[in-house]
Amino acid sequence: MKKSLLFIALFLTAGLLKAQNPTTDTTASSTDALMKTLSAPEKGEPVIATFKATRLILSQTTETVKKKELNFLVIHRFGDIAGANGGGKTMWGLDNSTDIYIGFEYGLTDNLNIDFGRSKFESLLELGLKYNILHQKLDNSVPVAVTLIGKTGFKTYHANTPIFDNYANRFSYLAQAVIARKFSSALSLQVSPMYLINNAPYPFLYGNEKKFFSLSAAGRLKITKRMGIVLDYVHPFSNFRDNNVDPRFYDGLGVGLEIETGGHVFTINFTNAQAISEFNYLNDTESKWSKGQFRLGFTISRIFDFNKKHKSNY
Amino acid sequence: MKYIGLILLAWFSINQAGQDIYACKNAVVTIYSKAPIEDIDARSDKGTSVFNAATGELAFSVPIRSFKFDKARMQEHFNENYMESDKYPQATFKGKINEKPDVTKDGTYPVTAAGIFEVHGVKQTRTIAGKLTVNGGAISLSSEFMVACKDHKIDIPQLVFHNIAETIRVQVNATYTPYK
Repeated sequence: MKKSLLFIALFLTAGLLKAQNPTTDTTASSTDALMKTLSAPEKGEPVIATFKATRLILSQTTETVKKKELNFLVIHRFGDIAGANGGGKTMWGLDNSTDIYIGFEYGLTDNLNIDFGRSKFESLLELGLKYNILHQKLDNSVPVAVTLIGKTGFKTYHANTPIFDNYANRFSYLAQAVIARKFSSALSLQVSPMYLINNAPYPFLYGNEKKFFSLSAAGRLKITKRMGIVLDYVHPFSNFRDNNVDPRFYDGLGVGLEIETGGHVFTINFTNAQAISEFNYLNDTESKWSKGQFRLGFTISRIFDFNKKHKSNY
Repeated sequence: MKYIGLILLAWFSINQAGQDIYACKNAVVTIYSKAPIEDIDARSDKGTSVFNAATGELAFSVPIRSFKFDKARMQEHFNENYMESDKYPQATFKGKINEKPDVTKDGTYPVTAAGIFEVHGVKQTRTIAGKLTVNGGAISLSSEFMVACKDHKIDIPQLVFHNIAETIRVQVNATYTPYK
């Protein structure tokens, strides 16, 4: 008993002597272990930059512009590349523009934006609010980002028909939720249910619904740090649009390349939808990819910063 | 009884050994660069460090995501485009302080630390100069050094070249307390 106790004591002391020896690895590894426990990753950090811009091709993303930033958007759609209205005679659509959108998005806070824009298509003015209500978290305690969008559209043009005799018929409303997840630094996907209300159905045809539900799905796959491939698809759940023969209606589908240059985001895309605003392309996409009725389009997003210029403390 | 005394002595020695290790959980790291259009200035107070006064070993780590900028977009670009913080979440230094200042005596000692400095997944062997201050049992380390973006494969695209300096000044301030 005594002997074994002595042995243990000696053993412990010997071990200590070893531990105190600066040249051994024992202390180094204990430093490492201590560092590991001290620098455990912080919980609940939000995922950032799910998308590089507030727009993909057809869809808005969950991203908002930050506080006191102004996003200036120029979105353009050319004419049909092929088909009856395309080909060499229109320089493969470059002679025409089916829609031009000039828009502004301003950050009231980091999560709340006010948006204003005008489309050439239907001379549409729109005003909306966008609120990023939920941020995806790195530890997956919140697995997705959610942004809510509410918009009002207003048609300014003069019509020879009595459609706009009632002034209220110029208005449309859109309620939308965008749910996105950044799966990796390269891959982000989103789905977005939308509910559209037109005070007067558009196009103004017999049997057209005033209200219908739509669902869009979109994604971005980065191929380099600053370039990504974008895919964007939308389906309106409308019996009228499913069944009408003249004209026929089609789902919107776009594919594009997104390039970020620090302050600017460009998207060069091909899409069958002629219009840029949800009010127009959900209501009225009469072009079909397989008929050659797709077009070149681009989105330029430029952020201006109205935050006070940073003054250094040094 | 004698043996219990021996064991107690052994425990005492363990505690003695433990007192050589100092830790810091809230080291302040600032990065600064002057550029024609906009200065870049960010701060983190989430740096962690362990210093073994007996061996001179020094380990340091700061999460890239913990750097706070005045502008949210700048912070996002810093993480997303330059530091790729999802792939390389930490900047670290692991090395040894060459001098052996007496940490039981108050004073300020100029020191140099040699070791591996890792940022953006790229390791560089560096010797970084700093200052070790002992004040009433508390040890603090401070240092200021330059980091060249190209040394750590941090790409700056041509288009934003003027926005970002190619060399970043890093300042570190850590106050240590004895661990346990």
